[in-house]
This record gives sequence, C-alpha cells and structure tokens, in this order.
Amino acid sequence: MSPVTEKKWKRSTALCSSLLSISLSLFSTTSGIAASDAAAAFKTKSPIKHVIILIGENRGLDHTFGVYKPKGKGQTISNLLSKGIVNEDGTPGPNFKLTQQYSVAPQKLYYFGAPNSAKMPYNTTTNIMPQPNTNGAPSAQSATGAPFQNVTEASVEKDIEPGDVQLLTTGATGLPLGVLDTRIPGAGSLPPGPFVLQGPDISDDDYTGDTTHRFFQAAQQQDCNIQNATAANPSGCLNDLFPFVMATYSSSNKSEGNEMGFYNAEQEEASLLKTLADRFTLSDNFHQSFLGGTGANHFMFGTGDAAFWSDGNGNATPAPANQIANPNPVAGTVNQYTADNNFTACADVSQPGVKPIVDYLENLPYDAEPNCKENHYYMIDNTNPGYLSNGTVVPAVQGALPPSPVRTIGDALNEKNISWGYFGGAYNDAAILSNEAVASNPANPNLTAAAETDPAHAVGIAYCQICNPFQYATSIMGNATQRAAHIKDTSDLITDIQKNTLPAVSIGKPDGLLDGHPSTSKIDLFEAYVQNVIDALEAKPQLKADTAVFITWDEAGGYYDSGYIQPIDFFGDGPRIPLLVLSPYSTGSIVNHSYADHVSLLKFIERNWELKPLTDRSRDNLPNPTVKKSNLYVPTNSPALDDLWDLFDFSAEPNLQPYTE
Amino acid sequence: MAPVSPRMGLAGVIRFAPKSNSSCFMIRKFNIAGVLILAVLGSPAMAQSFSAGLVTIGASGGQAGELGKVRVAGSKVRIDTLAPQGDFFVLDTIAKSAYLVRPGQHLFMDAMQSSLWTQLLVPVDPVDPCAQWQVMAKIAGAAQNGGEWRCTRLGEEMLVGLTAIKYRLVSPGGTESTGWIDPHLKFLIKFRADDGTGIDMVSTEEGPQAESLFAIPAHYSKFDPKQLIERIKQSDVWVEPPK
Repeated sequence: MSPVTEKKWKRSTALCSSLLSISLSLFSTTSGIAASDAAAAFKTKSPIKHVIILIGENRGLDHTFGVYKPKGKGQTISNLLSKGIVNEDGTPGPNFKLTQQYSVAPQKLYYFGAPNSAKMPYNTTTNIMPQPNTNGAPSAQSATGAPFQNVTEASVEKDIEPGDVQLLTTGATGLPLGVLDTRIPGAGSLPPGPFVLQGPDISDDDYTGDTTHRFFQAAQQQDCNIQNATAANPSGCLNDLFPFVMATYSSSNKSEGNEMGFYNAEQEEASLLKTLADRFTLSDNFHQSFLGGTGANHFMFGTGDAAFWSDGNGNATPAPANQIANPNPVAGTVNQYTADNNFTACADVSQPGVKPIVDYLENLPYDAEPNCKENHYYMIDNTNPGYLSNGTVVPAVQGALPPSPVRTIGDALNEKNISWGYFGGAYNDAAILSNEAVASNPANPNLTAAAETDPAHAVGIAYCQICNPFQYATSIMGNATQRAAHIKDTSDLITDIQKNTLPAVSIGKPDGLLDGHPSTSKIDLFEAYVQNVIDALEAKPQLKADTAVFITWDEAGGYYDSGYIQPIDFFGDGPRIPLLVLSPYSTGSIVNHSYADHVSLLKFIERNWELKPLTDRSRDNLPNPTVKKSNLYVPTNSPALDDLWDLFDFSAEPNLQPYTE
Repeated sequence: MAPVSPRMGLAGVIRFAPKSNSSCFMIRKFNIAGVLILAVLGSPAMAQSFSAGLVTIGASGGQAGELGKVRVAGSKVRIDTLAPQGDFFVLDTIAKSAYLVRPGQHLFMDAMQSSLWTQLLVPVDPVDPCAQWQVMAKIAGAAQNGGEWRCTRLGEEMLVGLTAIKYRLVSPGGTESTGWIDPHLKFLIKFRADDGTGIDMVSTEEGPQAESLFAIPAHYSKFDPKQLIERIKQSDVWVEPPK
C-alpha cells in the first residue's frame, strides 16, 4: 500500500484553540460570540436544514477526475478517460489529438479567440510544447515552512487531525526552483497535451509547480472563437492555448507547461475525493464562475456579481491608473501584456482588451450581455479587500478595493434572520495580526511585519482575505456586530458542529497551508481539511441527517480542462471544477451533467430558504438549463445556470451511510 | 505560626502585615533575610521569588476567567498559559530575552508581541516601572516607531491589605491603562484597560522557584516565521499591494 492510501483512514479528531488568543483577548477586536443555531426551525423547501460549502484552491475537473470511472449503475462522466484522450494509466489515448495545444504567431492586439490561420500545433520536434517546471514549489523541507522537517514543527497547523499532520512534512521537489520538473515521467519531451502527475517520484502527495491564473490570460487560453462553433460546442471555445499563453504573456513568468498536468483517481491519487465521488454525487459540468483567479471567483460566489472600484460609499469611481489592465502585446513581442493589472472598465470597448470579448459575446448564438455598467472599473484579478480582518478600513495607500456596496448572500440571509457563518482558516490569528499592525502603524498597517514580530500568531498570514467575499462588504465587515456574528475561524466550524450550533449556511475556507493550491499546498492537504470537517459531522448523526456538504474549488487554477464552456457575460464562465455533494439524498455515485457554476450554490440556498435573487443584475437571476437528450452538457436556453436541486433525490428515503467506509 | 507577608512601605520602611484570608495576594512564604538584602541593594530588575495565579477581569469588574500562572525568580519570569495548555513564556530581564515555548511541538520562538504580558509581567523598579517595561517593549519589537511606555504616578492605594503604587500607563502604541505595582514584589499586581477589563495576580506564594522552570530544553528548535511567511506569499491567499 502506498503512503498516499495509508494516510487516509482512522483518524482521531483533536481541536485546539487559536494560538494564545486568550492572552491577547483584552486587546483584540475579535469576539468569541457564537451564532445561535435556529437552523432546524427555519422553513426550508427541502429536508436540508444546513449546508456547508468547503472551497479548495485551484484544481480543475479533468485535473482531478480526468481518470475516473463512476461506480453508479449507468452513470457516465465526461473526462479525459471517457473521451479516449488518455488511457486508464494516464498515458495518451486514441483521441489524444482532441487536446492538441497550439502556439500563435504575434498579433497586434489582444485576442480572445486566436485567428485559426495564426495557430501552429505544438509537437515534439520543431515546436515543442512548453514543459512542466517547479515554479514556486519548495525544494526541501524547512523547520519553519511547509513541508516541515518533522511532525512537531508541522503542528503549527491545527485544522487537520493529528494523524494527517505528517502530510505537512512530505512532498518537497528535491529540485531547484523554476527548473524542468524531472519527477514527471517524460518531462522535457512531453507531447502537446495532458500528462499525468504520477510516477516513481511524483504523486498527489508532492508539491508541484504553479501556473498563472488571471483574467485576460485565462480568457485567452480558452481560445473562444465563434468561427469554431459547432452544434455540440456552440461557444466555439477550444481550450488549446494553455501552455502558449503561460509561456508568452510575461517576460518574467515561469509557469510554462504545468497547466496540462492531471492526477489519476483510478490509481489512488486524490483518494478521498474519489471515495466521496464513489459514494455520493459529483457534477461533471460545474464551472468556475469568473475567468482567472481567487478573489474574483470568491466574490462572484458570494454576490453573483463582480466587484468594482468605488469611493468607499457605494459610488463607482475610476480605478487608479496603475491598477488598470492593458493586455495588448508589447511591440516586438509574441504576446507579452503591456500592463498585467487588476481592473477593467468593460462597458467601454475602447479600453484595452475589452472589444475582443464584447464582440465575441455579441456574436454568440444566444443572448449573453457583458453585464458591465458604464464608468465601472471591475476587479478582474486579486485585489485585497477594503477591510482588514479586524474590521479596520485599509488606508488608500495600500491600493485595496474600497469598501464594497455589492449585496452579498449574507445580507439576504440576514434579512430573513437565517443563521450563517464564514469560517476562514487562521482567521483568529489574522485578526490579532491586524490589531497589531494597526497599533504599530495606523497609516499603513503592515501584516507581514506584524507576523514577523508575533511568531505565535504568524500563521494568521495564511488566512485568505481575498477568499472571503464578506470581507469586501461594508454591510458585513464594516459592522462590528455582523463581523463578530458571522466571520469566524475553522475551529469555530468544528465547534459549531460539535455543539449543534451549526448555522443554516456555513462556508469553510482552509488556510493557505491546507487549501490544496499547487506549489504551496497539495491535494491531500485539502482532503485532510475536508476529512476533519466530515469526521466532526459523522459524530453527529442527527445533524448529518439534514446537512448537505458541498465540496468545490474556487477555480481550476490555470489547469487545462476538456469540458464545454458557456460564456455568460464579460467575466465568465471558466473551466470546469469538481463539485461533490454529500448528503443522505445524494448517494449512489451519481454524476450530474447539468450546467452550473459557483452562483448555482447561491441558487440552491435561495431556493431552499426561499430567498430572491440578490440584485436585478446578479447571475442568480438566470434560469435553470434546459437540454436536449443528445447533449446534456449544453444548455439550449443559454445563458443558464442550474440550482443543483437535481443533485439530490428528496423523494427517496434518506441514506445515512458513512461519508467514508 | 500563621504565615505573614512582608511589606515594604513606599518610604522604604519594612513592615509586616497579617495575611488576609480573603486577599488575592496573600499566601506568601517569605524570607526576611532575602527581603532585607534586596531592600539594601535596591536592584530594580530583581524581584522576590514567588508564584501567583493570573485571572482576567471582565468589563463589569468581576473575574472573567483564568489566564495562567506566573513564576518569578530574580530576573527570570515564567508565564504559563492555559490555552493552548502547556505553552509558556520565559523572560529574563538581565539576558534581555523573551521566548514563547511550545513543549507540544518541541519549539520555542521569540515571544515578540505575542502577548502584552511579556512586557508588563517582569520585575520593575517600583518608582520607575516604565524603564523595565520599555526594555521589554524593545525586545518585543513594540517600540520600533519611537513609542515608549510612559508612567504617571497617581499615588498609593490599598489593595486588600497592602499598599500598592498606582500608575497611569501609556503603551508604546498609545493605549492608555492603569497599573498597580507591589513595591515589595516589585511587580505589577493589577492592571486595568480603560474599558474596565484587565488582570489580577492572585494566590501569591513567595518562595524559591526551581531553576529548571526557566530553562528551555536543549533539543527544542527555534521557530522563525519568515520562511512560513515566504511560503504563504507564493499562494493565492497573499496579495501584494500594487506598485
């Protein structure tokens, strides 16, 4: 048995309170106030009284489940294996050419879909596909950073079970940073398509090189061109420029070919996720809602919309000039972006990079509006929220998004007094660091300096500010009562489960060590985070009986995916990501094919608790898809998003089988 | 013989007060010779050897919970915290060090600003406590921007049977509070933030403290957060401000 499979089972649960928080409680603005659990009393449209949404980082569907065979009778999945792109052992299959990757001759302006005449197929001789490298992945163990040298050092992490802490000690590359990743079989001469991250020297327990995952890059990688549209693929997105864009958009980026890597779930990689898919329900048509990265996707998940620059009082204002993107190529380069920044005014087609996307949307065979308001500069890439973790407004000098007026699902739940919580790993430590940073320098608080001067709470740096959509919102983060009631730590989620005080809606986000992000985390670490949560639930059968656990990711992280993409508006959709649904009403290794994205989670919540769409422009207004029997993946009423109701069978007797065997 | 507590009055006169059973501070086993020697030498950084409990006080003035335990021997202080249980701080005003020790992980680290108490719970000169607190603030990195501890003597105040010196305090970050120093112990025995919350020292027991309590086992590794911070900065959870 490999160490990867040995690691999974029979773990004990241990919880620790946040590091020394009690010793600082007198000087902290955080609060231990527990949300009251009125969840069971709330009227719901289904037997589900609680949802827990756990969000990992940066893994796509083919990347994770590309080699997976559903166990349910008659169930099918659309993935690398089912399409014959790869064989069951991960080697190229008979239809490997379906994933052929291309390079593109230099163009004068940014393009959303490359001209077909300018595309040249990568090969293994004259036009070699960029190869995978160790971009950002740790070379060796460290006494003070993952992978740690031993379990005692790794115990700085408290949000996994003791038996899993050893996962934080393994997986260093043994290679220098930014070199060819020779752990991958065939690296250096891999053919121009997907390759398996499996071999004597590499598994899902290893750190791997990262890829860039930003808006204009992701849009370009999808290569959506209406000239390539077919009945089966009406959006004409070919997903064939993944390594090319990574290799060319910047003179300094070192992502190269990592985005074509995938794991083999049929051969013990991502083994917990596979086990859950074998026992519950998996969607093979669930998408990241926003092209690009973490912040915008989480924001869309929390609001059904995109964030925009404002005066902090709700009024749109131009973003600072140094934050406005210009993806047009620098003269004389193949594809090097002029200004790889974070905001765009997409209602103005004269803005760099906007017209190709708007033109494409206008030519789609369905009505997809950009949904960009005049004079609004939208956040398309990671930008810190306008509040620190302790509620302090971030000074303008730091370039954070000013406090946001965009309505969140938290606001909608509050209006009906339905309990909810956002549980961010290492949040309590982050709030303490924020207190210290503000105390040290109110005009320009420095969280890094605070972490360096407070080692006991340094892990607070691993709390993901941009993952918390409510941390952007004036209505939540700017209100001390709201903040204390709803913004919490992972340990609070576990405690709420143990004490039967779980809110109706809970959103769990692991810290940066456990989120599964390539190069800084691993899939098995996110699995360990999930295991910790579902083990706590397993110990509470009554609570488990009316709880649905959704396990998904913020984005595919730049990884290639072979699935159909439905462009909805200027901002997305992007590639498929896994969505697992665990509940007594979603058992049986079912694979659901209905088109959905992050906003579908909002739609489920809204349907179950009888809420209205958040605003008149949010994506939760979109209808559920209708489909032809001949193609269950492509909505005939685009743009459309499923509300995930059909991932449950509420007419069946609840099946209280264990989450894992 | 019933235990009694030594008292050094503010004028330097040694006096003895009977132990009050209701006192928070009273269970003391004293060493008169030691007191006399210290009184003569007047060492500002040396306190009595003693141990005491630490309790937190809520805004209403009532005891809110236990914070931990403090042990003092000369220039050395150990503060045990109840959560996470087993962790403790070791301070030394002569060596100018302050460490947080994590026995569960076989780690120790510079305490820095992990706790305000590493600045305040150290032996002080009762007539100038801020001098020592400022030294500890510098060790903690809490005085980097020119801030300093400032103490304004408010007078003497009887605290359950003993005379303490009451000070108005301003931290290097500008936060105001009030502290009471026991001139005999040369130690902060009561602290109140302006919202009424604070700590009290309770169940004080004078006597020698084992040297091993203040030692860090040789096989423990020192934790430096810089590498952890740099690793995290490679991920999406960290966003550098735009240039």
